[in-house]
Amino acid sequence: MSILRIEGIGGGYGSVTVLRDITLTLETGENLGLFGPNGHGKTTLLRMTSGLMRPSSGTIQFDGRDITGASPSKIVTSGLVHTQQGNTLFGDMGVAETLEMAAFTKRARAGATARLEKVYALFPRLAERRKQKTRTLSGGERQMLSIGSALMCAPRLLVLDEPTLGLSPRLKEELTEALIEISNSVPLMVVEQDVELLLAVTDRQVLVEHGEIVREITATNTPDHAEIVAMYFGAQA
Amino acid sequence: METLLATFVSGLVLAALYALMASGLSLIWTTIGVFNFAHGALMMVGAFVAWTVSEVGGFGLWPGLIAGVATTTVLGVIIEYLLIRPFYGQRNMVLITVMTTLAAMIILEKSAQIIWGARLKQLPRMIEGDISISGAVISAHEALIVVLAPLILIALWQFTNRTPVGRSLRAVGQNQEAAALLGINVPLTFALAFGLGAALAGLTGVLLGGIRFITPSLGSEPLIKAMIVVIFGGLGSLGATVGAALVIGMAEAFLVLTLGLYWTPFAIFLGLIAVLVLRPNGLFGRS
Amino acid sequence: MDWKLAAGLGVLLILPFFVTDSYTRHLFILAFVYAILASNWDLSLGYAGLFNFGHIAFFATGVYTAAIAAKTLGVSPMLTIPLGGATAALTALIVAAPVARLKGIYVVLVTFAFSQVLLQLILSQSHITGGAEGMVRIPALQIGDYKFIRDFKFGYYYVALGLLVLSTFYLLWLTRSPFGKSLLALRDNEEYAGARGISIMRARVLALVASAIFPGMAGSFFAIYLRVASPEVLGFGTLSLVLSMVLIGGIATITGPIFAAFAIFFATETLAGTRGMEEFRFIIVAVAMILVLRFAPGGLARILQVFQFKKNRVL
Ligand SMILES: Nc1ncnc2c1ncn2[C@@H]1O[C@H](COP(=O)(O)OP(=O)(O)OP(=O)(O)O)[C@@H](O)[C@H]1O
Ligand SMILES: [Mg+2]
Repeated sequence: MSILRIEGIGGGYGSVTVLRDITLTLETGENLGLFGPNGHGKTTLLRMTSGLMRPSSGTIQFDGRDITGASPSKIVTSGLVHTQQGNTLFGDMGVAETLEMAAFTKRARAGATARLEKVYALFPRLAERRKQKTRTLSGGERQMLSIGSALMCAPRLLVLDEPTLGLSPRLKEELTEALIEISNSVPLMVVEQDVELLLAVTDRQVLVEHGEIVREITATNTPDHAEIVAMYFGAQA
Repeated sequence: METLLATFVSGLVLAALYALMASGLSLIWTTIGVFNFAHGALMMVGAFVAWTVSEVGGFGLWPGLIAGVATTTVLGVIIEYLLIRPFYGQRNMVLITVMTTLAAMIILEKSAQIIWGARLKQLPRMIEGDISISGAVISAHEALIVVLAPLILIALWQFTNRTPVGRSLRAVGQNQEAAALLGINVPLTFALAFGLGAALAGLTGVLLGGIRFITPSLGSEPLIKAMIVVIFGGLGSLGATVGAALVIGMAEAFLVLTLGLYWTPFAIFLGLIAVLVLRPNGLFGRS
Repeated sequence: MDWKLAAGLGVLLILPFFVTDSYTRHLFILAFVYAILASNWDLSLGYAGLFNFGHIAFFATGVYTAAIAAKTLGVSPMLTIPLGGATAALTALIVAAPVARLKGIYVVLVTFAFSQVLLQLILSQSHITGGAEGMVRIPALQIGDYKFIRDFKFGYYYVALGLLVLSTFYLLWLTRSPFGKSLLALRDNEEYAGARGISIMRARVLALVASAIFPGMAGSFFAIYLRVASPEVLGFGTLSLVLSMVLIGGIATITGPIFAAFAIFFATETLAGTRGMEEFRFIIVAVAMILVLRFAPGGLARILQVFQFKKNRVL
């Protein structure tokens, strides 16, 4: 049984087509990675998945139910949670306030206290900054808060858009570990430029290029690192 | 000494009124980014409905108050649905909604004129009698407003800072997409914010109806005062609005004492311009 | 000049010879005044993209300039018309100082607050302005021996039409000049225009001042013609009426608001004459404004353009 089934998704912004015919499934128990050159539609795909944008063609099923064109709040309520690329969150709110509020849906509110403790355990830096305003957080801390808020939504599938964007190697490592731990309890769909991280966290990776999936990497056909890098740069040329 | 105290007390009354007038406007602005020009007209409708229920219907002041607030709440939700919602996401949304809410103001004022006529009306005071605070005399109704305003504002603050729904209003105001991705229903939140802002307008209108004559243009001056307070505070948070109301209320009382009634509005306007030029985001705003 | 404007002007020029009753002429005169107000407002609103809500303040400046100059100071009524243009331009300059630095909603609020403060000032300085009652019996226009009050508004009609024609030529010339083009560039892309060396502040100040001159003159004419000056001109009623003319006519078109001014003014006057409609007409105008914003954001001018475009394609 597949948890997410994206079929023939296409669309873009106004008259600009970004995605053409993307088909993708996420089986229960696996973590999926997406990578590809800048501006080729990864974020757009995630935005359509979480309801922030409406695809002009195709369907999306989550957990066997059609969510194409549903509102973001409905989709979150059903358990598909998306953390945006470079999310600035709520500048005037404190860390603890943001996390408490993030458990907004009825399903998320049940067991919120326990989940809050888990988030603090996962990201001790957040625990040290409970009262600090989000606008004064560093990029890495904000990224943690973003992921922490997503966890507070009680996700049944967590969709992450470039969680390590702009982070130092050390923070990246910290975050990678956190993501591995999260993946033990929640399936992940991760967009990431850092292929090392993708290989460490996800079981299967797809290459998105010009709004299409052009290549898939699974455990059985793993190319070596150099090959991936070549794919990457070759793709851009 | 005694004039100073009397001025301080009248400043306090003004500040309380201005804070009430501006709080609903500020709430709608911070949540939706809409500057509701119909805010004053909603106060007027609240006062008229309260008057009709309590004086014409003979049901008394409290049912009047409830009816007034309920009516403006419903009107607020309707205004949001018909005049704001169609324009979400448009490039000039802020400016378009200025015009649609201005149109709403005209519709409300002229409808009131048709329904209630131009004759002056007045609500009975919530409490009769006067109160003398070491020489400074104000009506008990005004004293009630001074006591009630902070209570209402604290309740509003508690709501927006302590309850999940209240927090979701602030979240939507700060980042709509991020709020939606937490499961917050953004369109519903907009309607809620508008309804709540309009309810505050209605409540303010009913309170005003006890100290001013109720006419279709009852809301014009309060709208402008609310506007000045909100700009002065920096279109930001509730706290900034309350702070600005205090500053303006006090400044007005003392300016009337020193400059006289005539030049006070002008002086306040100049102060406003100075604040805007020196601190474009308001006195308490962040750049 | 396109043929429609020329034809319109031709009709208006010969009209008083056929329409001899002074009431109809009176309506036309007021329509001309509104057309001047709406089209000049369009210069700052549509072209400069400045959300200026203070235009009725410029008009009111003209009204009170004429009233005070002609009645209190004894200036010849004819002279008060250019004088009103000058004081309105000066007022615009004062407003422009803070407005040029502000953006979006702040421009609305400051200009709006300014017009309200002007209203307060007029109300409070009653020894000069007559306060809430306003000023009455302002001297009428007289050129040589020709008395304008005795010709069934024949002369006033041509003075008002002359003002409208001058104002329209001025606006069309201005919007087609390099200055007008730079305003459009600024409105559509501030950064780009700034990078091209267009000074944002200077352009805004100029646009505001340039759009105040004719409303000021129209205001002076208005006072001299009606022989009264009333603070009512600063009310929400005037504001929304003129705003609806600009919006329904179509912003950034100049001629759109002129045509809309005629249409809306005559429509509301007709309604005003209908029993039970005196207040209701404002509601109708407000609803029309909302409908245009919702369904035809370019105003009626844009609808006509689209219509024309389709026609041309068929040909
Ligand atoms: N709001 C928008 N309006 C118009 N075009 C947009 C908008 N957002 C994104 N685009 C365009 O859509 C294309 C795909 O963008 P998208 O953000 O999906 O790329 P991406 O693969 O996530 O890139 P990156 O790796 O840089 O995050 C880009 O060409 C981008 O410029
Ligand atoms: Mg992206």
